Amino acid sequence: MADDKPDIARWVDEGAKAIGLPIAPEYREKVIVNVERSLAIAGPLLALALDDELTPLPVYRP
Amino acid sequence: MSDPLSKAATASEIARAVMSGKAKASAVIDAALRRIAAAEPTVNAFTDLVADRARKRAAEIDAGRHLGPLMGVPFAVKNLFDIEGLATRAGSKINVDGPRASRDGALVRKLEAAGAILVGGLNMGEYAYDFTGENAHYGPSRNPHDPTRMTGGSSGGSGAAVAAGEVPLALGSDTNGSIRVPASLCGLFGLKPTYGRLSRAGSFPFVDAFDHLGPLARSTEDLALSFDAMQGWDPDDPVCTDRDIEPTMPTLHEGIGGLRIAVAGDYFTKGGEPECFEAVATVAKALGATRTVVLPHAAAARSAAYVITAIEGAQLHLPRLRTRPQDFDPDTRERFMAGALLPGSWYVKAQRFRRQYRAEVLKLFNEVDIILAPATPCSAPRLGQVMMSIGGVELPVRANLGLFTQPISFIGLPVVAVPTRKSGALPIGVQVIARPYNEATALRVAAYLEKQGTCLSTPA
Repeated sequence: MADDKPDIARWVDEGAKAIGLPIAPEYREKVIVNVERSLAIAGPLLALALDDELTPLPVYRP
Repeated sequence: MSDPLSKAATASEIARAVMSGKAKASAVIDAALRRIAAAEPTVNAFTDLVADRARKRAAEIDAGRHLGPLMGVPFAVKNLFDIEGLATRAGSKINVDGPRASRDGALVRKLEAAGAILVGGLNMGEYAYDFTGENAHYGPSRNPHDPTRMTGGSSGGSGAAVAAGEVPLALGSDTNGSIRVPASLCGLFGLKPTYGRLSRAGSFPFVDAFDHLGPLARSTEDLALSFDAMQGWDPDDPVCTDRDIEPTMPTLHEGIGGLRIAVAGDYFTKGGEPECFEAVATVAKALGATRTVVLPHAAAARSAAYVITAIEGAQLHLPRLRTRPQDFDPDTRERFMAGALLPGSWYVKAQRFRRQYRAEVLKLFNEVDIILAPATPCSAPRLGQVMMSIGGVELPVRANLGLFTQPISFIGLPVVAVPTRKSGALPIGVQVIARPYNEATALRVAAYLEKQGTCLSTPA
Protein backbone atom coordinates (compact mmCIF):
# COMPACT_ATOMS: atom_id res chain seq x y z
CA MET A 1 0.00 0.00 0.00
CA ALA A 2 1.25 3.46 -0.87
CA ASP A 3 1.81 6.20 1.71
CA ASP A 4 -1.57 6.97 3.39
CA LYS A 5 -0.68 10.58 4.05
CA PRO A 6 -2.69 12.85 1.76
CA ASP A 7 -0.87 15.13 -0.65
CA ILE A 8 -2.22 18.39 0.76
CA ALA A 9 -0.73 20.59 -1.96
CA ARG A 10 -2.54 18.56 -4.61
CA TRP A 11 -5.71 18.57 -2.48
CA VAL A 12 -5.57 22.37 -2.41
CA ASP A 13 -4.78 22.79 -6.11
CA GLU A 14 -7.38 20.33 -7.38
CA GLY A 15 -10.03 21.23 -4.80
CA ALA A 16 -9.72 24.92 -5.60
CA LYS A 17 -10.13 24.14 -9.30
CA ALA A 18 -13.17 21.97 -8.59
CA ILE A 19 -15.01 24.69 -6.65
CA GLY A 20 -13.85 27.55 -8.88
CA LEU A 21 -11.78 29.32 -6.26
CA PRO A 22 -8.69 30.91 -7.77
CA ILE A 23 -5.81 30.81 -5.26
CA ALA A 24 -3.01 33.22 -6.17
CA PRO A 25 0.51 31.79 -5.85
CA GLU A 26 1.28 34.15 -2.95
CA TYR A 27 -1.63 32.68 -0.91
CA ARG A 28 -1.10 29.03 -1.81
CA GLU A 29 1.47 28.10 0.84
CA LYS A 30 -0.63 29.47 3.72
CA VAL A 31 -3.73 27.71 2.40
CA ILE A 32 -1.80 24.43 2.41
CA VAL A 33 -0.61 25.06 5.98
CA ASN A 34 -4.20 25.76 7.04
CA VAL A 35 -5.59 22.61 5.43
CA GLU A 36 -2.83 20.64 7.19
CA ARG A 37 -3.77 22.32 10.47
CA SER A 38 -7.46 21.57 9.88
CA LEU A 39 -6.69 17.93 9.26
CA ALA A 40 -4.83 17.76 12.57
CA ILE A 41 -7.56 19.58 14.52
CA ALA A 42 -10.31 17.46 12.94
CA GLY A 43 -8.50 14.30 14.08
CA PRO A 44 -10.47 13.62 17.29
CA LEU A 45 -13.77 13.99 15.41
CA LEU A 46 -12.71 11.87 12.46
CA ALA A 47 -11.50 9.13 14.82
CA LEU A 48 -14.95 8.66 16.37
CA ALA A 49 -17.33 5.91 15.29
CA LEU A 50 -20.95 7.09 15.32
CA ASP A 51 -24.09 4.94 15.43
CA ASP A 52 -26.00 4.76 12.14
CA GLU A 53 -29.11 5.99 13.97
CA LEU A 54 -27.36 9.17 15.05
CA THR A 55 -28.75 11.84 12.73
CA PRO A 56 -28.18 15.57 12.99
CA LEU A 57 -30.83 17.63 14.77
CA PRO A 58 -32.96 19.05 11.96
CA VAL A 59 -34.02 21.99 14.12
CA TYR A 60 -31.28 22.62 16.59
CA ARG A 61 -32.41 23.34 20.14
CA PRO A 62 -29.82 23.39 22.87
CA MET B 1 -21.07 54.16 44.50
CA SER B 2 -18.94 55.64 41.73
CA ASP B 3 -19.35 59.14 40.34
CA PRO B 4 -21.74 58.57 37.38
CA LEU B 5 -19.49 60.69 35.19
CA SER B 6 -16.35 58.68 35.99
CA LYS B 7 -14.86 55.78 34.11
CA ALA B 8 -15.48 53.51 37.09
CA ALA B 9 -19.26 54.02 36.96
CA THR B 10 -21.22 50.91 36.07
CA ALA B 11 -24.31 50.95 33.88
CA SER B 12 -26.60 50.40 36.85
CA GLU B 13 -24.98 53.22 38.82
CA ILE B 14 -25.42 55.57 35.87
CA ALA B 15 -29.03 54.53 35.32
CA ARG B 16 -29.85 55.07 39.00
CA ALA B 17 -28.20 58.51 38.96
CA VAL B 18 -30.01 59.61 35.78
CA MET B 19 -33.35 58.19 36.91
CA SER B 20 -33.14 59.96 40.27
CA GLY B 21 -32.12 63.24 38.65
CA LYS B 22 -28.68 63.21 40.29
CA ALA B 23 -27.01 63.21 36.86
CA LYS B 24 -28.05 64.42 33.41
CA ALA B 25 -27.84 61.94 30.54
CA SER B 26 -26.21 64.71 28.47
CA ALA B 27 -23.44 65.07 31.02
CA VAL B 28 -22.95 61.28 31.11
CA ILE B 29 -22.62 61.16 27.32
CA ASP B 30 -20.26 64.15 27.17
CA ALA B 31 -18.07 62.52 29.82
CA ALA B 32 -18.05 59.21 27.89
CA LEU B 33 -17.12 60.98 24.63
CA ARG B 34 -14.25 62.77 26.41
CA ARG B 35 -12.97 59.46 27.83
CA ILE B 36 -13.19 57.88 24.38
CA ALA B 37 -11.19 60.73 22.83
CA ALA B 38 -8.55 60.39 25.54
CA ALA B 39 -8.24 56.58 25.46
CA GLU B 40 -8.55 55.82 21.75
CA PRO B 41 -4.94 56.57 20.79
CA THR B 42 -3.97 53.84 23.25
CA VAL B 43 -6.69 51.18 22.98
CA ASN B 44 -8.14 51.59 19.44
CA ALA B 45 -11.51 50.18 20.47
CA PHE B 46 -13.80 52.26 18.24
CA THR B 47 -14.14 52.27 14.46
CA ASP B 48 -17.25 54.50 14.37
CA LEU B 49 -18.61 57.17 16.70
CA VAL B 50 -22.20 58.39 16.55
CA ALA B 51 -21.68 61.38 18.86
CA ASP B 52 -24.42 63.61 17.41
CA ARG B 53 -26.98 60.86 17.60
CA ALA B 54 -25.93 60.08 21.19
CA ARG B 55 -26.16 63.72 22.26
CA LYS B 56 -29.60 64.02 20.66
CA ARG B 57 -30.82 60.93 22.43
CA ALA B 58 -29.39 62.14 25.75
CA ALA B 59 -31.21 65.46 25.35
CA GLU B 60 -34.46 63.57 24.77
CA ILE B 61 -33.90 61.59 27.96
CA ASP B 62 -33.16 64.75 29.92
CA ALA B 63 -36.39 66.21 28.51
CA GLY B 64 -38.27 63.27 30.04
CA ARG B 65 -39.12 61.49 26.78
CA HIS B 66 -37.67 58.06 27.61
CA LEU B 67 -37.69 55.95 30.75
CA GLY B 68 -36.13 52.55 31.32
CA PRO B 69 -33.80 50.49 33.49
CA LEU B 70 -30.74 51.57 31.47
CA MET B 71 -31.64 55.25 31.33
CA GLY B 72 -28.71 57.35 30.14
CA VAL B 73 -26.24 54.46 29.95
CA PRO B 74 -23.71 54.87 27.12
CA PHE B 75 -22.98 51.67 25.25
CA ALA B 76 -21.21 50.57 22.08
CA VAL B 77 -21.48 47.55 19.82
CA LYS B 78 -19.08 45.33 17.90
CA ASN B 79 -19.19 46.63 14.35
CA LEU B 80 -21.03 43.58 13.05
CA PHE B 81 -24.23 45.04 14.59
CA ASP B 82 -26.20 47.21 12.19
CA ILE B 83 -26.12 50.90 13.06
CA GLU B 84 -28.58 52.94 11.03
CA GLY B 85 -26.85 54.96 8.32
CA LEU B 86 -23.50 53.14 8.59
CA ALA B 87 -22.02 50.24 6.64
CA THR B 88 -21.84 47.13 8.82
CA ARG B 89 -18.09 46.54 8.68
CA ALA B 90 -17.92 43.20 10.50
CA GLY B 91 -14.23 44.03 10.81
CA SER B 92 -13.78 44.01 7.06
CA LYS B 93 -12.73 46.49 4.41
CA ILE B 94 -14.99 44.82 1.83
CA ASN B 95 -18.28 45.49 3.65
CA VAL B 96 -17.59 49.23 3.75
CA ASP B 97 -18.44 49.23 0.02
CA GLY B 98 -21.79 47.61 0.82
CA PRO B 99 -25.13 49.19 1.69
CA ARG B 100 -25.66 51.41 4.75
CA ALA B 101 -27.89 49.82 7.38
CA SER B 102 -31.48 51.04 7.07
CA ARG B 103 -32.08 50.55 10.80
CA ASP B 104 -30.31 49.46 13.96
CA GLY B 105 -29.85 45.80 14.84
CA ALA B 106 -32.52 44.24 17.05
CA LEU B 107 -30.46 44.32 20.27
CA VAL B 108 -29.41 47.94 19.73
CA ARG B 109 -33.08 48.84 19.45
CA LYS B 110 -33.92 46.88 22.59
CA LEU B 111 -31.17 48.53 24.65
CA GLU B 112 -32.22 51.97 23.45
CA ALA B 113 -35.84 51.17 24.26
CA ALA B 114 -34.58 50.51 27.80
CA GLY B 115 -33.04 53.99 27.88
CA ALA B 116 -29.43 53.20 26.92
CA ILE B 117 -27.61 55.41 24.43
CA LEU B 118 -25.49 54.07 21.56
CA VAL B 119 -22.21 55.93 21.14
CA GLY B 120 -20.50 53.89 18.41
CA GLY B 121 -19.27 50.78 16.66
CA LEU B 122 -16.31 48.75 17.92
CA ASN B 123 -13.26 47.17 16.36
CA MET B 124 -13.20 43.39 15.81
CA GLY B 125 -11.32 40.62 14.09
CA GLU B 126 -12.29 40.39 10.42
CA TYR B 127 -15.62 38.64 9.91
CA ALA B 128 -15.30 37.39 13.52
CA TYR B 129 -12.89 34.62 12.46
CA ASP B 130 -10.52 35.55 15.22
CA PHE B 131 -9.53 35.08 18.86
CA THR B 132 -6.89 37.86 19.04
CA GLY B 133 -8.61 41.24 18.49
CA GLU B 134 -6.08 42.06 15.78
CA ASN B 135 -7.19 43.56 12.48
CA ALA B 136 -5.04 44.44 9.46
CA HIS B 137 -7.44 47.13 8.21
CA TYR B 138 -8.19 49.06 11.39
CA GLY B 139 -5.25 48.12 13.60
CA PRO B 140 -5.42 45.87 16.65
CA SER B 141 -7.58 46.70 19.63
CA ARG B 142 -5.11 46.95 22.53
CA ASN B 143 -5.53 45.60 26.02
CA PRO B 144 -6.12 48.52 28.41
CA HIS B 145 -4.33 46.62 31.19
CA ASP B 146 -1.19 46.41 29.04
CA PRO B 147 -1.44 48.02 25.58
CA THR B 148 1.42 45.88 24.26
CA ARG B 149 -0.89 42.88 24.61
CA MET B 150 -3.95 41.47 22.86
CA THR B 151 -7.51 42.13 23.96
CA GLY B 152 -8.55 38.75 22.69
CA GLY B 153 -11.21 38.48 20.05
CA SER B 154 -13.04 38.62 18.01
CA SER B 155 -14.99 41.16 20.13
CA GLY B 156 -11.68 42.93 20.85
CA GLY B 157 -13.01 46.48 20.72
CA SER B 158 -15.85 45.48 23.05
CA GLY B 159 -13.31 44.20 25.57
CA ALA B 160 -11.04 47.24 25.22
CA ALA B 161 -13.83 49.85 25.44
CA VAL B 162 -15.27 48.46 28.68
CA ALA B 163 -11.91 47.63 30.30
CA ALA B 164 -10.62 51.14 29.51
CA GLY B 165 -13.75 52.66 31.06
CA GLU B 166 -14.78 54.35 27.80
CA VAL B 167 -18.27 52.87 28.20
CA PRO B 168 -19.67 50.64 30.95
CA LEU B 169 -21.42 48.27 28.57
CA ALA B 170 -20.67 46.78 25.15
CA LEU B 171 -22.23 44.12 22.98
CA GLY B 172 -20.19 41.44 21.29
CA SER B 173 -20.78 38.21 19.43
CA ASP B 174 -19.56 34.76 20.40
CA THR B 175 -19.39 31.92 17.88
CA ASN B 176 -16.57 29.93 19.47
CA GLY B 177 -15.54 32.18 22.34
CA SER B 178 -15.51 35.73 21.00
CA ILE B 179 -17.20 37.23 24.08
CA ARG B 180 -15.56 34.94 26.65
CA VAL B 181 -11.99 35.26 25.31
CA PRO B 182 -11.83 39.10 25.41
CA ALA B 183 -13.69 39.09 28.74
CA SER B 184 -10.94 36.81 30.08
CA LEU B 185 -7.99 38.75 28.67
CA CYS B 186 -9.45 42.18 29.55
CA GLY B 187 -10.68 41.25 33.05
CA LEU B 188 -14.43 41.68 32.43
CA PHE B 189 -17.69 39.92 33.08
CA GLY B 190 -19.11 38.57 29.81
CA LEU B 191 -22.35 36.73 29.11
CA LYS B 192 -22.72 34.30 26.26
CA PRO B 193 -26.39 33.41 26.56
CA THR B 194 -28.03 30.16 25.49
CA TYR B 195 -27.99 29.67 21.70
CA GLY B 196 -31.13 31.28 20.33
CA ARG B 197 -31.91 33.25 23.48
CA LEU B 198 -31.17 36.71 22.03
CA SER B 199 -32.13 37.86 18.55
CA ARG B 200 -29.34 38.10 16.00
CA ALA B 201 -31.47 40.08 13.54
CA GLY B 202 -29.57 43.02 12.11
CA SER B 203 -26.11 41.60 12.75
CA PHE B 204 -23.61 40.27 10.21
CA PRO B 205 -23.43 36.46 10.47
CA PHE B 206 -20.39 34.20 10.69
CA VAL B 207 -21.50 30.64 11.52
CA ASP B 208 -25.25 30.33 11.87
CA ALA B 209 -24.96 27.09 13.84
CA PHE B 210 -23.05 28.80 16.67
CA ASP B 211 -23.54 32.58 16.43
CA HIS B 212 -24.61 34.15 19.73
CA LEU B 213 -24.79 37.81 20.79
CA GLY B 214 -24.31 39.10 24.33
CA PRO B 215 -23.01 41.78 26.68
CA LEU B 216 -19.62 42.56 28.29
CA ALA B 217 -19.50 44.73 31.40
CA ARG B 218 -17.65 45.37 34.66
CA SER B 219 -20.45 44.15 36.92
CA THR B 220 -22.83 41.22 37.02
CA GLU B 221 -25.75 43.57 37.63
CA ASP B 222 -24.96 45.27 34.30
CA LEU B 223 -24.96 41.91 32.52
CA ALA B 224 -28.30 41.00 34.10
CA LEU B 225 -29.93 44.38 33.45
CA SER B 226 -28.89 44.46 29.80
CA PHE B 227 -29.63 40.76 29.22
CA ASP B 228 -33.14 41.18 30.63
CA ALA B 229 -33.72 44.19 28.41
CA MET B 230 -32.62 42.23 25.32
CA GLN B 231 -34.60 39.03 25.89
CA GLY B 232 -37.66 38.17 23.84
CA TRP B 233 -38.79 36.35 20.69
CA ASP B 234 -37.96 37.95 17.37
CA PRO B 235 -39.45 36.57 14.16
CA ASP B 236 -36.59 38.18 12.22
CA ASP B 237 -34.13 35.59 13.62
CA PRO B 238 -35.36 32.06 12.85
CA VAL B 239 -33.18 30.67 15.64
CA CYS B 240 -34.54 33.03 18.30
CA THR B 241 -36.46 31.12 20.97
CA ASP B 242 -40.17 31.62 21.55
CA ARG B 243 -39.83 30.65 25.21
CA ASP B 244 -41.09 33.12 27.77
CA ILE B 245 -38.70 35.79 28.93
CA GLU B 246 -36.96 34.69 32.14
CA PRO B 247 -35.74 37.78 34.01
CA THR B 248 -32.43 37.35 35.80
CA MET B 249 -32.42 40.49 37.95
CA PRO B 250 -34.91 39.26 40.58
CA THR B 251 -32.71 36.31 41.61
CA LEU B 252 -29.28 37.86 40.98
CA HIS B 253 -28.40 38.32 44.64
CA GLU B 254 -29.94 35.10 45.97
CA GLY B 255 -26.52 33.54 46.56
CA ILE B 256 -25.41 30.01 45.83
CA GLY B 257 -27.43 28.08 48.43
CA GLY B 258 -28.66 24.77 47.04
CA LEU B 259 -26.56 24.90 43.88
CA ARG B 260 -24.46 21.87 42.94
CA ILE B 261 -21.24 23.20 41.47
CA ALA B 262 -18.50 21.11 39.86
CA VAL B 263 -15.22 21.68 38.07
CA ALA B 264 -14.75 20.35 34.53
CA GLY B 265 -12.10 17.63 34.54
CA ASP B 266 -9.99 15.84 31.96
CA TYR B 267 -9.83 17.95 28.74
CA PHE B 268 -10.28 21.17 30.76
CA THR B 269 -7.30 20.43 33.03
CA LYS B 270 -4.71 20.18 30.24
CA GLY B 271 -3.36 22.37 27.47
CA GLY B 272 -3.19 25.61 29.44
CA GLU B 273 -0.70 27.66 31.40
CA PRO B 274 -0.76 27.28 35.21
CA GLU B 275 -2.54 30.63 35.64
CA CYS B 276 -5.72 29.39 33.94
CA PHE B 277 -6.01 26.37 36.24
CA GLU B 278 -5.16 28.51 39.29
CA ALA B 279 -8.03 30.82 38.31
CA VAL B 280 -10.45 27.89 38.21
CA ALA B 281 -9.14 26.64 41.58
CA THR B 282 -9.60 30.09 43.13
CA VAL B 283 -13.19 30.33 41.92
CA ALA B 284 -13.96 26.72 42.89
CA LYS B 285 -12.62 27.34 46.40
CA ALA B 286 -14.72 30.49 46.81
CA LEU B 287 -17.78 28.47 45.79
CA GLY B 288 -16.91 25.44 47.91
CA ALA B 289 -16.90 23.29 44.77
CA THR B 290 -14.97 20.09 45.32
CA ARG B 291 -16.59 17.81 42.78
CA THR B 292 -15.23 17.14 39.29
CA VAL B 293 -17.29 16.13 36.26
CA VAL B 294 -15.98 15.01 32.90
CA LEU B 295 -17.55 16.31 29.71
CA PRO B 296 -17.20 13.21 27.55
CA HIS B 297 -15.61 13.70 24.12
CA ALA B 298 -14.73 17.35 24.77
CA ALA B 299 -11.72 17.10 22.42
CA ALA B 300 -13.96 15.83 19.63
CA ALA B 301 -16.40 18.64 20.42
CA ARG B 302 -13.66 21.17 19.89
CA SER B 303 -12.72 19.45 16.60
CA ALA B 304 -16.32 19.45 15.45
CA ALA B 305 -16.80 23.11 16.36
CA TYR B 306 -13.67 23.92 14.36
CA VAL B 307 -14.86 21.95 11.33
CA ILE B 308 -18.36 23.45 11.28
CA THR B 309 -16.91 26.93 11.72
CA ALA B 310 -14.32 26.53 8.98
CA ILE B 311 -16.82 25.13 6.46
CA GLU B 312 -19.80 27.40 7.22
CA GLY B 313 -17.60 30.51 7.43
CA ALA B 314 -15.85 29.71 4.16
CA GLN B 315 -19.11 29.00 2.38
CA LEU B 316 -20.51 32.36 3.51
CA HIS B 317 -17.50 34.22 2.14
CA LEU B 318 -16.79 32.16 -0.97
CA PRO B 319 -18.10 34.80 -3.44
CA ARG B 320 -15.83 37.43 -1.86
CA LEU B 321 -12.87 35.02 -1.72
CA ARG B 322 -13.28 34.55 -5.46
CA THR B 323 -13.59 38.21 -6.40
CA ARG B 324 -11.75 40.25 -3.76
CA PRO B 325 -9.16 38.03 -2.06
CA GLN B 326 -6.68 40.92 -1.92
CA ASP B 327 -9.10 42.90 0.28
CA PHE B 328 -9.26 40.30 3.06
CA ASP B 329 -7.16 40.52 6.20
CA PRO B 330 -4.14 38.27 5.54
CA ASP B 331 -4.85 36.60 8.88
CA THR B 332 -8.29 35.39 7.82
CA ARG B 333 -7.99 34.99 4.03
CA GLU B 334 -6.11 31.72 3.79
CA ARG B 335 -8.03 30.22 6.71
CA PHE B 336 -11.29 30.92 4.90
CA MET B 337 -9.83 29.54 1.67
CA ALA B 338 -8.73 26.37 3.43
CA GLY B 339 -12.22 26.01 4.96
CA ALA B 340 -13.74 26.06 1.48
CA LEU B 341 -11.70 22.97 0.60
CA LEU B 342 -12.65 20.76 3.55
CA PRO B 343 -14.85 17.72 2.83
CA GLY B 344 -18.60 17.98 3.34
CA SER B 345 -18.54 14.58 5.05
CA TRP B 346 -16.60 16.20 7.92
CA TYR B 347 -19.34 18.77 8.30
CA VAL B 348 -22.13 16.23 8.44
CA LYS B 349 -20.22 14.07 10.88
CA ALA B 350 -19.64 17.08 13.10
CA GLN B 351 -23.36 17.87 13.06
CA ARG B 352 -24.30 14.26 13.84
CA PHE B 353 -21.78 14.17 16.67
CA ARG B 354 -23.22 17.38 18.09
CA ARG B 355 -26.44 15.56 18.87
CA GLN B 356 -24.60 12.85 20.78
CA TYR B 357 -22.40 15.30 22.70
CA ARG B 358 -25.40 17.47 23.59
CA ALA B 359 -27.15 14.44 25.11
CA GLU B 360 -24.00 13.41 27.01
CA VAL B 361 -23.46 16.86 28.49
CA LEU B 362 -27.12 17.47 29.33
CA LYS B 363 -27.01 14.23 31.32
CA LEU B 364 -24.32 15.78 33.54
CA PHE B 365 -26.75 18.55 34.38
CA ASN B 366 -28.96 15.99 36.14
CA GLU B 367 -26.20 15.83 38.74
CA VAL B 368 -24.87 19.39 38.82
CA ASP B 369 -26.21 22.89 38.21
CA ILE B 370 -23.00 24.69 37.34
CA ILE B 371 -19.74 23.58 35.73
CA LEU B 372 -16.55 25.64 36.02
CA ALA B 373 -13.85 25.63 33.33
CA PRO B 374 -10.99 27.89 32.23
CA ALA B 375 -11.98 30.63 29.77
CA THR B 376 -8.62 30.93 28.03
CA PRO B 377 -5.47 28.80 28.23
CA CYS B 378 -3.38 31.85 29.20
CA SER B 379 -3.61 35.55 30.00
CA ALA B 380 -3.18 38.12 27.20
CA PRO B 381 -0.45 37.22 24.66
CA ARG B 382 1.66 39.99 23.15
CA LEU B 383 0.30 41.81 20.10
CA GLY B 384 1.54 40.15 16.94
CA GLN B 385 2.45 36.96 18.76
CA VAL B 386 1.87 34.03 16.40
CA MET B 387 2.89 31.02 18.48
CA MET B 388 2.55 30.41 22.19
CA SER B 389 4.13 27.85 24.43
CA ILE B 390 1.62 25.88 26.48
CA GLY B 391 2.87 23.18 28.76
CA GLY B 392 6.12 23.22 26.75
CA VAL B 393 4.32 22.69 23.40
CA GLU B 394 4.45 25.40 20.71
CA LEU B 395 0.92 26.11 19.43
CA PRO B 396 -0.56 28.77 17.14
CA VAL B 397 -2.19 31.53 19.21
CA ARG B 398 -5.12 32.05 16.83
CA ALA B 399 -6.38 28.50 16.80
CA ASN B 400 -5.83 27.80 20.49
CA LEU B 401 -7.10 30.77 22.51
CA GLY B 402 -10.56 29.21 22.16
CA LEU B 403 -9.56 25.73 23.21
CA PHE B 404 -11.75 25.79 26.33
CA THR B 405 -14.63 27.88 25.01
CA GLN B 406 -15.34 25.92 21.81
CA PRO B 407 -16.67 22.70 23.39
CA ILE B 408 -19.24 24.79 25.32
CA SER B 409 -20.65 27.07 22.60
CA PHE B 410 -20.72 24.02 20.30
CA ILE B 411 -23.91 22.97 22.12
CA GLY B 412 -25.12 26.45 22.96
CA LEU B 413 -24.85 26.34 26.77
CA PRO B 414 -25.13 29.66 28.62
CA VAL B 415 -21.88 30.89 30.18
CA VAL B 416 -20.82 33.82 32.30
CA ALA B 417 -17.10 34.55 32.01
CA VAL B 418 -15.91 35.89 35.37
CA PRO B 419 -12.61 37.74 35.87
CA THR B 420 -9.84 36.86 38.30
CA ARG B 421 -6.61 38.74 38.82
CA LYS B 422 -3.64 38.09 41.03
CA SER B 423 -1.70 41.07 42.31
CA GLY B 424 0.84 42.19 39.71
CA ALA B 425 -0.48 39.82 37.05
CA LEU B 426 -2.77 40.24 34.06
CA PRO B 427 -6.42 39.22 34.41
CA ILE B 428 -7.71 35.81 33.35
CA GLY B 429 -11.26 34.51 33.31
CA VAL B 430 -13.22 31.42 34.31
CA GLN B 431 -16.32 30.05 32.58
CA VAL B 432 -19.39 29.58 34.78
CA ILE B 433 -21.48 27.21 32.68
CA ALA B 434 -25.16 26.39 33.22
CA ARG B 435 -27.77 24.17 31.58
CA PRO B 436 -29.65 25.64 28.59
CA TYR B 437 -31.82 28.67 29.42
CA ASN B 438 -30.35 28.94 32.93
CA GLU B 439 -28.55 32.24 32.47
CA ALA B 440 -30.11 33.30 35.78
CA THR B 441 -28.22 30.58 37.68
CA ALA B 442 -24.86 31.38 36.06
CA LEU B 443 -25.40 35.07 36.79
CA ARG B 444 -26.29 34.30 40.43
CA VAL B 445 -23.01 32.45 40.85
CA ALA B 446 -21.09 35.28 39.17
CA ALA B 447 -22.81 37.84 41.42
CA TYR B 448 -21.87 35.79 44.50
CA LEU B 449 -18.23 35.71 43.37
CA GLU B 450 -18.33 39.46 42.81
CA LYS B 451 -19.85 40.08 46.25
CA GLN B 452 -17.20 37.90 47.91
CA GLY B 453 -14.51 39.90 46.12
CA THR B 454 -13.17 36.83 44.30
CA CYS B 455 -14.10 38.21 40.88
CA LEU B 456 -13.89 41.96 40.44
CA SER B 457 -13.54 44.10 37.35
CA THR B 458 -11.99 47.54 37.54
CA PRO B 459 -11.17 49.76 34.57
CA ALA B 460 -7.51 50.12 33.65
